[in-house]
Amino acid sequence: MAAPMELVLSTDAAGQVANCSVWDPLTGSVLLTYRGGNSTGRGLAVLGGQYLLGGQLGKNYINVWELQRKDQLQQKIVCPAPVTCLAASPNGLYLIAGISQSIYLWEVCTGRLLSIINCHYQDVTCLTFTDDSSHFLSGAKDSLVMVWNVYSVLQVEASRGPEPRHLWSLHSLPITDLQCGIGGPQSHAVTSSLDQTVKLWDIASGDILLSVLFDVRIMSVALDPAEYHIFCGGSDGSIFQVDLLSWPVHRDRTFNQEQEKVFKGHRNQVTCLSVSLDGSMLVSGSHDETVCIWDIQSKQCLRTVTHRGPVTNAFIITAPANMLKADSKPSFPLPRFNKHLQGAEGCEGPESGGVILRLGRNQQDFDGTYLQRAEQLHDLLGESEGKNLSGLVEQLRSRTSELEEELNMVRKINKDLFDFSASIITKQ
Amino acid sequence: MTNKRKRQEDFQKVKLKVGKKKPKTANATDTNFASKTIRLSEQLKEDSALPTNRRKLNITDLLSQMHHYNAGVKHSALVGLQELLSLHPSLIDTHISNIIAEVAAVFTDKEPTVRMAAVSLLKYLTPLIPQDKVAPFFPLVSAHLSSAMTHIFVGIQEDSLKILDVLLDEYPDLLIDRSSMLLNNFLELISHQKCSKEVGGEKQSIWTLSINPNRKITSQKWRLNVLGRLKKFLHALVKQAVERFPNNEHMESVFSANKLSDISWTEYANGNQPIKVFSSSEQEKVPFRLRTLVGITGNTDEGLSSTNNLKIFIQSIVPLLIECWIEEFSGDISGNLLNPVSHNLLLLVLSIISLLWKLSEHQDPSQKMDGWLRKCYLKDFKHHFMKRFPYSLCETMTQKKKIKSKDCVLTSNGLDNLLLNLTLCDIMVSLASTETLDEDAQWLAMIQVFVTEKLMYGSNLNCKQLKGLLEVTSRLLNIQRNRATTEKLIHAVYMVYQQKDLLFPVRSMLLNFFSKVYLKEEDICLNLGRSRSKVLSRWLSNLPLQLAQLGTKNPNLSALMIEAIYTAAARSNKELLKSLQNAACQIYDPEDGAFMFLPSESQQLLVQLMYFLPHISSDLLLCLNRCIKEKLPSTFVSMLIGILHVRSSFSCWTYSAQESALNDTDYFSFLFSTLTGFSAEKLTCMQNNKSHQICRTRVSRVSLYLTDQAYFAHQWIVIKAICQSLSSLSARLQCFDILQNAIIKHLGGLVVIPDSTAGAILCAINTLHDRCCIPNDNLNRFLASCCYSIFNFLLTREKDVEHNQKRDPLWGACISLLSMLPNVLKLMLQNLQVSKACQEELPVIAQLLRLLLQNTQLRSHMITNAFLVQQTLQDVMNMKSCEIQEQWLTDLQYCFNVYLSKPPNETAVRMVY
Repeated sequence: MAAPMELVLSTDAAGQVANCSVWDPLTGSVLLTYRGGNSTGRGLAVLGGQYLLGGQLGKNYINVWELQRKDQLQQKIVCPAPVTCLAASPNGLYLIAGISQSIYLWEVCTGRLLSIINCHYQDVTCLTFTDDSSHFLSGAKDSLVMVWNVYSVLQVEASRGPEPRHLWSLHSLPITDLQCGIGGPQSHAVTSSLDQTVKLWDIASGDILLSVLFDVRIMSVALDPAEYHIFCGGSDGSIFQVDLLSWPVHRDRTFNQEQEKVFKGHRNQVTCLSVSLDGSMLVSGSHDETVCIWDIQSKQCLRTVTHRGPVTNAFIITAPANMLKADSKPSFPLPRFNKHLQGAEGCEGPESGGVILRLGRNQQDFDGTYLQRAEQLHDLLGESEGKNLSGLVEQLRSRTSELEEELNMVRKINKDLFDFSASIITKQ
Repeated sequence: MTNKRKRQEDFQKVKLKVGKKKPKTANATDTNFASKTIRLSEQLKEDSALPTNRRKLNITDLLSQMHHYNAGVKHSALVGLQELLSLHPSLIDTHISNIIAEVAAVFTDKEPTVRMAAVSLLKYLTPLIPQDKVAPFFPLVSAHLSSAMTHIFVGIQEDSLKILDVLLDEYPDLLIDRSSMLLNNFLELISHQKCSKEVGGEKQSIWTLSINPNRKITSQKWRLNVLGRLKKFLHALVKQAVERFPNNEHMESVFSANKLSDISWTEYANGNQPIKVFSSSEQEKVPFRLRTLVGITGNTDEGLSSTNNLKIFIQSIVPLLIECWIEEFSGDISGNLLNPVSHNLLLLVLSIISLLWKLSEHQDPSQKMDGWLRKCYLKDFKHHFMKRFPYSLCETMTQKKKIKSKDCVLTSNGLDNLLLNLTLCDIMVSLASTETLDEDAQWLAMIQVFVTEKLMYGSNLNCKQLKGLLEVTSRLLNIQRNRATTEKLIHAVYMVYQQKDLLFPVRSMLLNFFSKVYLKEEDICLNLGRSRSKVLSRWLSNLPLQLAQLGTKNPNLSALMIEAIYTAAARSNKELLKSLQNAACQIYDPEDGAFMFLPSESQQLLVQLMYFLPHISSDLLLCLNRCIKEKLPSTFVSMLIGILHVRSSFSCWTYSAQESALNDTDYFSFLFSTLTGFSAEKLTCMQNNKSHQICRTRVSRVSLYLTDQAYFAHQWIVIKAICQSLSSLSARLQCFDILQNAIIKHLGGLVVIPDSTAGAILCAINTLHDRCCIPNDNLNRFLASCCYSIFNFLLTREKDVEHNQKRDPLWGACISLLSMLPNVLKLMLQNLQVSKACQEELPVIAQLLRLLLQNTQLRSHMITNAFLVQQTLQDVMNMKSCEIQEQWLTDLQYCFNVYLSKPPNETAVRMVY
């Protein structure tokens, strides 16, 4: 039998049989299982085609397996709080995880924690990279979606936190899922929310392109590779197919259940959706403990794979070359992932560790000599240091003034108290 | 001889004879004609093609008269043209190019009367011609305007300003396209260029103020005139710049950040809207237009939209303005009192500067120039303007004038004193920034004190003043990092907010201000971890109570408040959530709460707000339950039920350790009472009801109360939503038990049940039932009698239009229940005691049996119960009173034979043997 081209990875909340099972979408036969623990929703990721990562449900660590050695847990990345969502960049350089309200960004090759982004006001629910790893998107329970440029997140000085490239605040209830199309920074992103809408956005401009209103809460969403359709998994178990090319163009429309295409079969909310690379198959996982494979053209359910608990993750990947070869080894070793921010107190500073080069955002249209570049880099370093200092001084100053103010107030109160008691005593 | 003969011919004697008529003389006039009118053909040159004015001149005559050397003729031609065009407006369309060309040509006429007439004609014309029609001719018009503005005759210059006014009112965009030319003209109107030799230092401006002794008015007044126009023009420029490069601050309103806008290609094709192009690098966002106006209007100049041009213009105009002010004010050094004239001048000067500042703010974000402005002008401004900072009007002067004019003009004059000071504050504060705080501490403190005082004691601020104050305050807040000072400022604004009788626009402005400040604070708090402002949190935590107290008095204000509450709730502000929790019962109260009576957008937000509540108490659930009964719009009902489900412990949407907001028992009682749809009192009250709304039957114990159609439709949507929530519950067995107990306890004893409730229970059982659930006997009996009652109702009132809509959902619910629980079907068939039934009910029973037999879903169950059916059939046959075989009975017998008697092939086999 020839090796399958595409594989489905799925996990359930119970994790009785295995944490993650890998099976062939065409036959439904289980090829591999990874054991140990169970994974949260949106918390399963394949890193660089070599490792499988899964955020442990309800506990504060991430399980890591080598793809070919399925039985053995490679490492546990310990985090400060339970992981709510996880994503690895397609080029395998970065790993991001949503941990309560903040987003942690690790560099895979060194294991350093490069940045902690505290811009969401409530728990982060979903994270995804664009296909060229230049941007990532985050959605949270505060109903905000933010688009981040990886390099500007890395470049930012410490005194001010990184700023998102776009902030989308048109959803009115928590974000349940988000997906990114093909095309790097020019691609489209689709978000779904508990407010019963699905919205399509343009990452380059930050404009909203489409908003579709449904009758039920939408728990998951997927774009097909050609971006002809959006698939939306509802809380009642049906999957809605929104045609993007339908005419006339309405930017704000309501989904009509009678006239448009609906996949019916699940009995409970659909938690995850994924479309195969050729756009012919749809994989859906649901809380009714099944994963279904659908033929998109005919809307028929081809295969149902039952699990022991509510399905938390199910997606299609192209089969990594070494997944099914038990004797191969991963192409790069996995470092220890740090728990603390690089450069923070208690951790070794940059001078002891070695030089970190972070490429700038002007990388593409740069054509100076090396000397000029070095000079510029130097300037930049000096500037950021100066700014850093000034920011610190500024912070200190405001703090002292606040304290002074407080002190004055306390003095005044004290004096009043004294006067008052003095007057009483003298009266007596 | 010839002479003689001639004479004879001429003087022939006419012989007159008696009885003969007198011959007519050769020169006699024939008078026997009749005419009705007298026509003078000369003056009757009626040209039917072209309409004319009262003096019978058509448009070509009038236009040609414009070239006449005589001023009087020209004047009358202009007046005539206006008259003609007002009589026949259609002429404008056909002759637009000629009219505009000729009218523009007389802008520079030497006679004042002609120019006056031209202006008045222009005033009449411009509102009639839309901008896009006049655009092709505008280069001509502006050329004439420019030549008038720079004309050597003073009178023409003065009148050109009037023309500018007219054009600015109607065609601001077109004028803006030629801004660089016009701005230069403005400069030349009040000043002249120095000779190149005199230009010494770099900083020295090359323009100096000029005084023309030939003018009729003083040079001060003239400058006031010109500067007034300049201000108007700059105002238009700023308006356009704001549209083109919207500043971050203006975008920040949370909800309307970037609204969906439909694409219309016609907009792009006309060049009205730029197409945005985005590359992956963030900075280059260069909009381009599919079709520019350049092609039509000739050259286009960048005007002030490029930083360089703006810099040059600022460099030339600001020294002039300062010079104007010095000239006006240097004479009397009487502290900070101003007389009205100098007040006006200062106001003009300052507002022009502030407009220029605004322009610089709305530049392309890549090339800002705050530092430059500060470097160039801070010193001058401090010296000339800030020295006497809080300006006030000279009281004696105003009083004198008041006696003279006795107008209300002066009262307004007295008021915009504050506006003047505010404009100055605005200019100065925008020069400062966080980094330079120490250097500017002195004058910033002065401004702060001024602003705080005005806010604290300004009980009667009008809308415009308050807007200015808030603008300055928000600028100050942007600069200041020190908590103590910002707190003072916010507190001052809060004092204004706390005043009782504020008008709606003022109140909404304050609300917007606060929510903007709050958003900024949230940002800072996240990034720097600073403490929160106490005043702001007090404001926030008071909002829910205010919303509750406001009720339905002002929906717009409520919408603003809800928006502010929503943003804070989404950011999980603890204090707000606490106070919202306390006020929730009031807000969601079904009788007089805001929730039920606000417009639907606000209602939707309020429903969604429910998600963020940390704890939903049983009282609140009760309120919500009653709200749903009181006809909350059905879209919100399903949304509300869905949100409550998400917040309950059963949804497990994300597996985080999020505690559920609802008590499980509370949630179930909410679901059950919403399913029932009627309160217990109403149900008991219903038991003794004897009206026609009750559908009775003798066979079943339960009678149905018929609800009205609209209520049933509403209730059915509620039922669907609840069933959806029920279907996603995980522990079905337990839930089924709970539901079963609840039904038996609360509904089992009732004799009259509303039809919607009966349907709801069937639906709920349908969704919750699983293979392992075994309903107990009581429930089975109850369900059986419910089913029969519903069938009975559906069959007896089949023709009733009012109940037509109920048919499908109820029928479907019954059938699916019966197919799912065969025991209920059996019980129902057993209970069909025909002996109890009266004669009228027999056909109904027969029909019911027939329909059940025909149903494919139920067929197998019916076959197992064949014996019961047969018995009933027998009973019916026996009971039937009349002898004639009726249609319904025949049908039933036929069905029975087809479906329930032995399969035909089996009998056929028997026949063979």
